[in-house]
Amino acid sequence: MEVLKEGLLKVDPGLLLWTVITFLVLLLILWKAAWKPIVEALDARAEKVRGDIESAEKNRLETERLLAQHRDMMGKSKEEATQIIAEGRSDAEALKNKMLEQANGEAKDVIERAKREISMAKDKALSELKSEVVALSTEIASKVIGKNLNPDDQKAFIEEALTKIRTVQ
Amino acid sequence: MIHLLHSINSFITSGGEEESMYDIVMHHLTDHTITTGFIGNINEQYLNTKLFGIFDMRITRWVVMLWVAALVCLIIFVPIARKIKNARYGSSSKWVNLWEVLISFVHDEIVEPNFDHHYVKKAMPYFLSIFFFVLFCNLVGLIPGLSTPTGNLGVTAGLAILTLLGMIGVGMIKQGPVGYWAGLVPHGVPAFVIPLMFPIEIIGLFIKPFALTVRLFANMTAGHVVIIIFIYLVMMFQSYWVGIGSVAGSLMIYLLELLVAFIQAYIFATLSAMFIGSSMHAH
Repeated sequence: MEVLKEGLLKVDPGLLLWTVITFLVLLLILWKAAWKPIVEALDARAEKVRGDIESAEKNRLETERLLAQHRDMMGKSKEEATQIIAEGRSDAEALKNKMLEQANGEAKDVIERAKREISMAKDKALSELKSEVVALSTEIASKVIGKNLNPDDQKAFIEEALTKIRTVQ
Repeated sequence: MIHLLHSINSFITSGGEEESMYDIVMHHLTDHTITTGFIGNINEQYLNTKLFGIFDMRITRWVVMLWVAALVCLIIFVPIARKIKNARYGSSSKWVNLWEVLISFVHDEIVEPNFDHHYVKKAMPYFLSIFFFVLFCNLVGLIPGLSTPTGNLGVTAGLAILTLLGMIGVGMIKQGPVGYWAGLVPHGVPAFVIPLMFPIEIIGLFIKPFALTVRLFANMTAGHVVIIIFIYLVMMFQSYWVGIGSVAGSLMIYLLELLVAFIQAYIFATLSAMFIGSSMHAH
């Protein structure tokens, strides 16, 4: 026990008691003034961070769900749009063909009618000419028969008749 | 070589007209009652008689060092508490964050592994105090001119006795006064071994804080002895060239001491937590 009273290994009861007193006073002061608020604040912060992380996770899932939904909708509307465009194109094609056909038919009708009218007019003119020629011939014949014609007159008549015919034609 | 050893030996042991190495080491590492100044007066007037006949309460150099360490604790942590409380999302100050990291370290590494979940909050103040008090006691001695309070068996014994009281107190509260002492002997041992086991467990109970005492004391003293001896080499050889080596050597030991100061504070607090935490349940 001699070694505990002197030198490096000396255990001084007074110092020991001072240590205990100092530490206990420090413990009490720090407990009230420092550790309690610090531990509470750190716990509250940890709790808050945990809550924040949880809500962030929840938000992420919700966002993912919405994104998937949105993608789905986008895909659907794209398909729809393609379908609508294709439909419109085929409709337009059909309408174009129909209109072309109609126009062609109408044009043909117009041409047909024109041709018919022309041929009718021609026929009419020809029949008119024929009757005219007949009338003229009758007139000429009556004139020939009615008066003696000298050759010069005859010639003049014929020529007159021919000119008339030509003008009619 | 033999000549060198011989001269070292004579330096260490010679009292002589010069101070021997032993005297110097002892002067730096042992306690002295303060006899001068204000504290000397107080010692003289109020603390001269021994308390209960054993406790010499005169204020010594080491007591002042304890107060320095405690004061540093107060100066640092009381404002820190206010700052942490006010900063809801965590302070951006590096100073606050530094201490917050150490507080979290005590929480995560020292208290949480050794205590049940709902006792952690109750146990935190004690272990925060013991960790930072021991840490600052260790660091105070690294400031030139001051001494290491924990480099004294009286101080480390005082802290370890608190751990011992904590073990017994917590054990008796949690397991009942009888249950605790009965629970010292592990369950399931044959009946005839119990008379043998009980004294062993009692001795074990006291050896735990004793080991705490000696470990902290020896770790904090050893580095100082080496530093002092490195410096003393200069005086011993009376040569400037030795100074280069001994300053470099003592600087290295000093840096090592910084590390040891943290490690020993951690070990002291962890082992205290382990002992007190395990006394909550019978094993």
